[in-house]
Amino acid sequence: MMLASVIGVGMIPFGKHEERTLVSMGAQACRLALKDAGVLPSGVDAAFFSCGIASRLFGDFTIGQNVFWEVGINRIPVVNVENACTSGSTAFFLACNMVAAGQADVALVCGAEKMCVPGFGLISSGESQLDTQLGMVAPAGFALRAVRHMEEYGTTAEQLAKVSVKNRQHGALNPMAQFRDPITVEDVLSAPMIVDPLTRLSCCPIADGAAALLIASPQAAHRFSHSVHVKSSVLVTGNYENPQDLANWETDRRGAHTAYEKAGMGPEDMDLVECHDAFTISEILHYEALGLCPPGEGGRLVDEGSVALGGRVPVNPSGGLLSRGHPVGATGVAQIVEVVTQLRHEAGSRQVQNAKTGLAQCMGGDKDGDTKSCTVSIFSV
Amino acid sequence: MSENHIKPMLPDIFTIPRDEKHPPMLLGGYCRHCNAHYFPKPRYCPRCLEPPELKEIGNAGIIHSLTVVRTKPPLGLPQPYSVGYVDLEKGSAGSGLRVFCLFDPESVDHLKIGQKVVLRVGPLGHDGRGDTRLRPYFKPVHENEEG
Repeated sequence: MMLASVIGVGMIPFGKHEERTLVSMGAQACRLALKDAGVLPSGVDAAFFSCGIASRLFGDFTIGQNVFWEVGINRIPVVNVENACTSGSTAFFLACNMVAAGQADVALVCGAEKMCVPGFGLISSGESQLDTQLGMVAPAGFALRAVRHMEEYGTTAEQLAKVSVKNRQHGALNPMAQFRDPITVEDVLSAPMIVDPLTRLSCCPIADGAAALLIASPQAAHRFSHSVHVKSSVLVTGNYENPQDLANWETDRRGAHTAYEKAGMGPEDMDLVECHDAFTISEILHYEALGLCPPGEGGRLVDEGSVALGGRVPVNPSGGLLSRGHPVGATGVAQIVEVVTQLRHEAGSRQVQNAKTGLAQCMGGDKDGDTKSCTVSIFSV
Repeated sequence: MSENHIKPMLPDIFTIPRDEKHPPMLLGGYCRHCNAHYFPKPRYCPRCLEPPELKEIGNAGIIHSLTVVRTKPPLGLPQPYSVGYVDLEKGSAGSGLRVFCLFDPESVDHLKIGQKVVLRVGPLGHDGRGDTRLRPYFKPVHENEEG
């Protein structure tokens, strides 16, 4: 079973691009993806653009049409997607389903965000929400999960810090990453405390950036020289039940389970994983939700080195959000760019040896102690 | 200006204490058809889509998780401030819901999982435009205060 194929990737380095506009970054990523696949603007049948916060920061709407016309794409269906941190992976989900449904042979996905502007602050769910009024900010939701994970499973601050250390080691090998200097456990633990027990180096930084993917239907994919198969692409929403189990994330598990089931594969089949390491604890929770280890053993997994490059199943070989930074609308697309690059064996010094399968997981938004959205996609060559 | 004139940060989240005999209570939704409690009160019961009634859902419980936010606070909250989840008492006294909450800013360094807490309401932070607002927060109950 195959849903679609990725036939081209494009990405600009994530970081502070003060002189760049959102549209120029998005257009550059699109151009790279089109050139990578050898597709002209006239060869694209549908296009999806994702950004998370531009409408709030700049008052811009329907930006996709502006981005895509910069690379000569007009007339075709264009959809603008906002789904918090999963905006980009949701756009990908929609594009895959559109080509699988026979509504398009080739679809373009672009995610971009410009957020390195003065006074940006912390992300919240908006001032009309009760949780926001009671002081909920994004890192606090994850700190509360970390506290429970430590209480229930004995996970340590050192194990949490090792996620940052590992991802920075990976990021050092990725020219697209914003932060490429190695750090130590001591650096992470002694960094300024943001929300106990998460220090500044336990939280992903903001960034400007853009990434793009060209998707083809299974029928059209054979025309292209290097295509990576999409075995499944799943989008789920929170359950919002009360009480929430903070240390065992049902929504995360449900997303992973559905994606494995649709792909006819399991966690043991994965050669590498890109996941949403917005905070160190997030990655540990995702190890468990994705079935890379039993519940409660995420801390031990990072201790053992199983999830580092050279280990059993490297997680975030790109350096993850912790190294790249997190341009909200671009992140979900950039994760897939990394998985595809790895499966094309073009990842240079961070290449996962003999990689044939990979998984990209992303999560976004916060509501009633649950996530609003979770995407999981599985790839193979 | 007395506290009587300070508005709650959102309506229908808690009762405002009139006197010592009427401690503040959290307000939530209760659906009679589904025998289900919600916090905050939803417009419609997500199971049967009938409008739930506004109901007191409790004012005491135990700390399930907690953290201290040390970075620049939103909405004029103190720096640092503490938030977490409290499991409200079950039975006649409460709904048993797990609610996200603020903790007493005076108690930031004295909170732990499993600790018994009780609801207070007072001026805490503002509305985003600088006007002080009443907010609910939980305060630890010390053994000698119980009874």
